[in-house]
Amino acid sequence: MWNIVKPGMTPKEIVKTLRELDGVMFTSTGMRDAGQSDYKNRHRIYDLATLAPYYEEMGLFSAECHGGARWHVGIMNRREDPFEEIRILREKMPSVLLQTLIRETNLWGYRPYPKNVIEYVVARVDIDVWRCFSFLNDIRNMRTVAEIVMKRGRLFEPAISFTQADWTTDEYYLSVVDEIVSLCGGVDEIVLCIKDMAGVGSPKRIAQLIDAIKQKYPDLVIHYHRHTTDGLALPAYLAAAQAGAKILDVEEDSLTRFYGQPPILGVHAYLEEAGVKVHLNRDAAEGAVQKVREWINQYAWAESPFKGLDHNVTKHKMPGGAFPSSFEQAEKGGFLHLMPQILRVMSLYNRIVKYFDVTPGSQITWVTCSGMVNKYAKERGLKGVEHLIRLLTKFVEEVDQDLDKMEPWEREELLTIFRNAPGDFKNLILGKYGRLPQGWPADWVYQSAFGEEWQEKIKERTDKSPLETVKPDDLDKLRQELEEKIERKPTEEEFILYLMHPKDAVEYIKFRDEYGQAPLVLPTNVWREGLKKPGDKVEFELNGKPYTIELVSVGAEHEGLIHVVMKVNNKTRVYTVETPRAKKKEVKKAVGPNQIGAPISGNVWRIGNPERGSLKVGDIVHKGEEIANIEAMKMENVVVAPFDAQITAIHVKLNDTVEEGQLMFELKPLEE
Amino acid sequence: MERKINHVLIANRGVPAVRIMDTCRDRRIKTTAVYSNADRLAYHVRLADQAVCIGEAPPLESYLNMEKIIGAALKVGADAIHPGWGFLAENADFAEMVEDAGLIWIGPPPKVIRAMGDKVQAKRYAKQANVPTIPGIDNVKDIEEIKRWIREEKVDFPIMLKAAKGGGGKGMVKVESEEQLPLAFNQAKSEAMKAFGDDALLAEKYIQKGRHIEVQVVADKHGKVVHLFERECTLQRRNQKIIEEAPSPSIDEDLREEICFTAVRLMREIGYASAGTVEFIFDSATNKFYFLEVNTRLQVEHGVTELITGLDLVSLMLDVAEGKKLPIRQSEIKANRWALEVRLNAEDPINFNPSFGTITRLQLPQGPAVRISQGVYEGADIPPYYDSLIMLIMTAGQNREAAIRTMDRALGRDLRVEGVKTIAPLLLAIIRHPSFRAGHFSTTFIEEHMDELVAMFKEKSTEDEVLKIAKFVARVSALGPQPWM
Repeated sequence: MWNIVKPGMTPKEIVKTLRELDGVMFTSTGMRDAGQSDYKNRHRIYDLATLAPYYEEMGLFSAECHGGARWHVGIMNRREDPFEEIRILREKMPSVLLQTLIRETNLWGYRPYPKNVIEYVVARVDIDVWRCFSFLNDIRNMRTVAEIVMKRGRLFEPAISFTQADWTTDEYYLSVVDEIVSLCGGVDEIVLCIKDMAGVGSPKRIAQLIDAIKQKYPDLVIHYHRHTTDGLALPAYLAAAQAGAKILDVEEDSLTRFYGQPPILGVHAYLEEAGVKVHLNRDAAEGAVQKVREWINQYAWAESPFKGLDHNVTKHKMPGGAFPSSFEQAEKGGFLHLMPQILRVMSLYNRIVKYFDVTPGSQITWVTCSGMVNKYAKERGLKGVEHLIRLLTKFVEEVDQDLDKMEPWEREELLTIFRNAPGDFKNLILGKYGRLPQGWPADWVYQSAFGEEWQEKIKERTDKSPLETVKPDDLDKLRQELEEKIERKPTEEEFILYLMHPKDAVEYIKFRDEYGQAPLVLPTNVWREGLKKPGDKVEFELNGKPYTIELVSVGAEHEGLIHVVMKVNNKTRVYTVETPRAKKKEVKKAVGPNQIGAPISGNVWRIGNPERGSLKVGDIVHKGEEIANIEAMKMENVVVAPFDAQITAIHVKLNDTVEEGQLMFELKPLEE
Repeated sequence: MERKINHVLIANRGVPAVRIMDTCRDRRIKTTAVYSNADRLAYHVRLADQAVCIGEAPPLESYLNMEKIIGAALKVGADAIHPGWGFLAENADFAEMVEDAGLIWIGPPPKVIRAMGDKVQAKRYAKQANVPTIPGIDNVKDIEEIKRWIREEKVDFPIMLKAAKGGGGKGMVKVESEEQLPLAFNQAKSEAMKAFGDDALLAEKYIQKGRHIEVQVVADKHGKVVHLFERECTLQRRNQKIIEEAPSPSIDEDLREEICFTAVRLMREIGYASAGTVEFIFDSATNKFYFLEVNTRLQVEHGVTELITGLDLVSLMLDVAEGKKLPIRQSEIKANRWALEVRLNAEDPINFNPSFGTITRLQLPQGPAVRISQGVYEGADIPPYYDSLIMLIMTAGQNREAAIRTMDRALGRDLRVEGVKTIAPLLLAIIRHPSFRAGHFSTTFIEEHMDELVAMFKEKSTEDEVLKIAKFVARVSALGPQPWM
């Protein structure tokens, strides 16, 4: 009996089981963080779901399959939504706890959401284990998520964001744990996560921290999350387990690249050899590792261009989850060659403004530092970038961040260095995301960011949690707004997607309205490349019935259109595909108050009216006077002048076919 | 004098043309279609044995062009013309021209058409035959006349303006208030002119929450008149029926007998021959019915009567036109089914704007209790010049509930039309509405319930989903990986 914890158990029962367990359990991140760290979150549920039968047998503590950036990338790039992923996995592995990663008030997005949105969303997502972290370790920000999750009887797993720096001492972390324990009313219904998101904890440091926590809270169950980036993950895991961690995050060996979690089979073997019992059905784990090999090669295109482990992560601290997306942006932006310099600037920057490089903090760091480097590169070339690094190195490493010890011209430069920083950086140092772990940055940072109005801005700073400061959203209004955008009533789930990422959700919903379940049923090669040559076919099941789509031919492009002939269940169909070069037939719509549109689609059979005959530009018309008539299906439809006016333009000709709303007249109101 | 019909020219297009051809083909009668340039590839043209082009797309140049149509009939050697419904079906001049050309007119005698086509005269006949009529005035010259009538007879708004020569909802305008009167008057006049070539109007009291009940009659040239029971055609939008059924759920047996024999009496009085309909408006508040008009033609909704009686009205029209005696007696006509018909118009179901274009997918309902009368096919174009009706869907059952249940399946799960919008979602919403199911509705039902009705949508089917997936496969096959991936 491998599944000693499963959905439906109370948090208390789960915690009790873990306390009594001799040895450790694993959380598999194969369905979320593994893909996020090394494959830009592109692993499709179609492939991941093939692992579920193995997970069902494996004896995992949980499967992390949700949250982080997977939600957003899902709707943007994979066109899958997190709700249907949960449903698919629940069906295939009903005994496995499903785990998410949530960013306190930032949920699965990048900005603080209002309290009423947090309450609404968290109550409606069917997840068993809620790992919740704050990039500021501002535990106050977790309150709403904690309350809802615990009230629902699901397991809350607060995380402390871990990094190695001079200020991240045991005392510091213990004070954070104190806050967590007090927020959660003790240690009996939670699991504490140490979130080492960049993989920078040395084996010694981790053992020491866990030991310190265990000494103060011996009954607190500890879950250690770590990335492999520094190359020291295995010894760190052994040290953590020996110090008392109960759960470790791993992924399939065959999924492991450079920035994700350590390999499940390797960790299992290493710990067992060292005398630590591991609760794992190894046969099932081996099966999953093999299964991955059946589809992983289809994702080579999504791998980070920055190959190899990187012990320097202990300096720049870019988290595993942010690696591929940052490199993707650098590649797209054409500044991949500047990465070493950007990473160096990051390592200096995070000693000036102190917080944890994890979402949204890591994005703020990335945009701020890459922006700074790019600005210097653009203005002064590589030499300029080197100059920037010299300046920051001197400031941070030689003069101990004492502005007075810098030369006057250097001081001047530092005082403008954050002027072009992104708005999120400015919000961060004003306290809009919550309290910074080491207090406000030095005054000169404000001077640098805001210029002359810096003192005003400092007065704006708040040390309140965003839970108190962000104004509630009008949910009914937002729902209405979405309904207008997608031209139908949204489902509850679509509405939640919209609350998280308004623009991308609308695009996603429209895509799915048009292409249905294509993202769920098509194998990955067909999803990406389509059918390649005549006779190629894709077979799948939908709602329990078999279907086949076979390519007959792809025509040549003509005027931006390509005709694709396919046999859909033996019936030949022709699809017209618009290429980016397709000419859009543009119909001008009436928008302004002086523009008169067609009330109905039809034929303009009269311009003017029977009394005065036809109208022309310059004619004066009177309020209520018929100015045109549209016939549609033998019914007449009068177009009337809405006010006394002079006709300034007529956009239709007699017998034109017009669309509803199409611009017909422009009028100039007559002055009284 | 009996004259055998061997070759019929059908002076129509779309659904009616196809319907008539079906019976002609059953009887091994040769058919000739006529078509406008916009209809070269239309379904009725494909189905006919031969086809003649009669002009440009606008109806006046083609389907209303009498000389061309008669010329075509003579040219191909047809011996009869069936006008279908709409276009020239109730044009007495055309009927006369057909007969003058030595052809058989498959319809009532021209003088009956003329008499009944004039609403004023029709009302007079009705009064003569002791049939109750709606209060109103004829031959309206100007707005003042209407205002005077309203004053003198103490009539409340709304009132109806109707083309004296009209029918089928065209040239009919409801006027809510005195302010609307001028614009409505002009619109009714102009539509009347365009549709019927005559702008004479009449004004009538508007029966609030009235129900529209009509009786199907068939008469031969030997003085025999029978009825095929009534139909309920209350559900309308813009005065056009969209759902019809037989029998009527609004009346009981006594009333049914009364209304049917009243219709027979009137038709005998006017010397009717062929298939025709007497329309009544039924005021359910007072249990009174009033004569509305006689439709001197085959009607769109004749199919529900065929379904409940098992008779073929087009075939009976052919018999009558050939001069035969009616092959059935009144006592032999039995209704033993309930039948429902919906009109599938190519229109936006929310605002009823017409939808033109190509039908890219057409999947039809089937099954033992379903009858489809179609005017289009998959791949057909719907031109903007004509009526928006593309198909009639009928279902039958041993009672009303069974007929509705089959219609629900036919519309919700089977029927698929893509490429143009249809009112199918609205039709489905109506037949699912509790008030419709309970039989409680009036001619204003759709306007009153529009908000609830548009909220209901068709069910998803797996076939639809597969086509969406195929659309995506086509897209990536043509274009490769998408930039957003």
